[in-house]
Amino acid sequence: MNQPVSQSNDAQSAREGAVHGVHGHFQLKYQPAVPVPKGKLAVWLFLSTEIMFFTALIGTYIVLRFGAPQGSWPTPQQVGVIEWLGALNTFVLICSSVTIVFAMEFAKQGLASKAKWFLFGTFALGGMFLGIKAYEYNSKFEHGVYPQGPRSLLYDRADLDYLAGLKASVDAQILALEKGRTATASETGKIAAGEQSPARDSHSDNALERLTLIRSGLIQWTQKKVGQSGNPMMVELALKSLAYQIATMDKDERIETYLANEMVEVKSELAELQAEQQRVDQRVAGLQGEIEQRTSSKTDSSAEDADASDQAGLEAKIKSAADAAAESSRLNDLIVPLQARVDAMDEFTLVEDGINEHFHLRLPMVIPSGNTWANTYFLLTGFHAIHVFGGLVAFMILMTLRLDAACAGLLENVGLYWHFVDIVWIFLFPLLYLF
Amino acid sequence: MTDEYQNEPLLHAKTNAGVFIVVFLMLFAFTTLSFWIANSHLMDNRIVGWAAMLAVSVAKALLVVLFFMHLWWERSWKYLLTIPALIMGALLVLLLVPDVGFRTETYSKERRSHAPIAESNVMDDGIPSSQ
Repeated sequence: MNQPVSQSNDAQSAREGAVHGVHGHFQLKYQPAVPVPKGKLAVWLFLSTEIMFFTALIGTYIVLRFGAPQGSWPTPQQVGVIEWLGALNTFVLICSSVTIVFAMEFAKQGLASKAKWFLFGTFALGGMFLGIKAYEYNSKFEHGVYPQGPRSLLYDRADLDYLAGLKASVDAQILALEKGRTATASETGKIAAGEQSPARDSHSDNALERLTLIRSGLIQWTQKKVGQSGNPMMVELALKSLAYQIATMDKDERIETYLANEMVEVKSELAELQAEQQRVDQRVAGLQGEIEQRTSSKTDSSAEDADASDQAGLEAKIKSAADAAAESSRLNDLIVPLQARVDAMDEFTLVEDGINEHFHLRLPMVIPSGNTWANTYFLLTGFHAIHVFGGLVAFMILMTLRLDAACAGLLENVGLYWHFVDIVWIFLFPLLYLF
Repeated sequence: MTDEYQNEPLLHAKTNAGVFIVVFLMLFAFTTLSFWIANSHLMDNRIVGWAAMLAVSVAKALLVVLFFMHLWWERSWKYLLTIPALIMGALLVLLLVPDVGFRTETYSKERRSHAPIAESNVMDDGIPSSQ
């Protein structure tokens, strides 16, 4: 065994020999390849994969956002993103980065209890971040902003699909309210006391009335317009103005002019029809009066022979009265939708930000690229929040230890991870809240 | 673990409390700056405003990496673990630019009419549209 160890055959045995010290002349000593502790190297390796992951994720969002023409991506205001909450969360994370840096510094100096307090401060700030995030998520959900699926109320365009979705939603809500009302009615009937039910009833009555008006004056009106008009421009305007009334994103002069012009037309048409109906109704009333007079006079003088021409005249009068009544009801059929339109416009035209926001309704709304936005928003903030949560778990485990100089390395490793989470948020804040 | 840390240059350096406080204040100032940019005239051309905000974010990230994550004081292994990762991530993003970044430029008329925006609005804002 005096010959030199060939690398190809005996490398394994040579290494073992060195470790076990069997061969005296192979005194190998472990030299770290990188002059850092193993744990820190491992954390940095992990972080370099995280750098790739988040660079790709955030970079993809940037490419999507920069490539979206003006107006085809929701502004923060449209999707209920509150700038100052994002700024507050940025501040919270920066503070938590500072506290964990100081926790490590104190641990290095052996000031264990000070280090623990600063670590606890970091934990509390991280928790605060998640709390604010949860509040923000909740307000998104309340506005029907979901990543996808049946709960999302977002539509990309004001088209027929949107009209159908809106109609289905309103129908379902009206049905639910009516069901609820019959349920409470039977309940109060049973209890028969019902002191607090009137308030609740009037509230749901209001909601029901409003939804019914939305259905007749906005949705059915638009359906009729879309069905009647062969002009695609007019169809587009009708659908857009409906979406505009449900959720007003930006003030749009073109749509407001369209609605105002339409209202003038509808009102004059309505006035004409009403005048005509009044005339017809008067004629019906006059004819009925005459018929009544004739028949009563006939019964009075039943002994006298009513001549045939008189009889024929009466029949003709009855017929024309019936025709006039039919004409009146035909006019009424024309008047009802116009009246509903006028009522709806009176009720909803001056509403700021649209019906949805003003009356706290949950109706489908049109936000260009809203679904893409919601997907990316929840993906980015969700992955970040999961990382924050992971950091909090690490802090909890660290807080069970004595944070003296022996622990400084561990604290630094967790701190490295936490700072990285902070950096991710540093990019997410302007991208999601300010762009 | 204590043994390992005897080799740490960081442990022998004096405490950097002053540096950390300065970095913290700068981070705070930079956050305010990006908030200011978002509401300033830089947003008149939104690409300029966005680029400015991203530049501020890069500056903030550098401050955190260099000082809070101690890379300023580390040896050259730091480049091995950060630069290639950044290049890989950036390449992946750059590969998206032709297809995703300029997606509206190659929209057909048909596709454009189903895009979440009216054709009339696509024209402004310096983003060219096909035709």
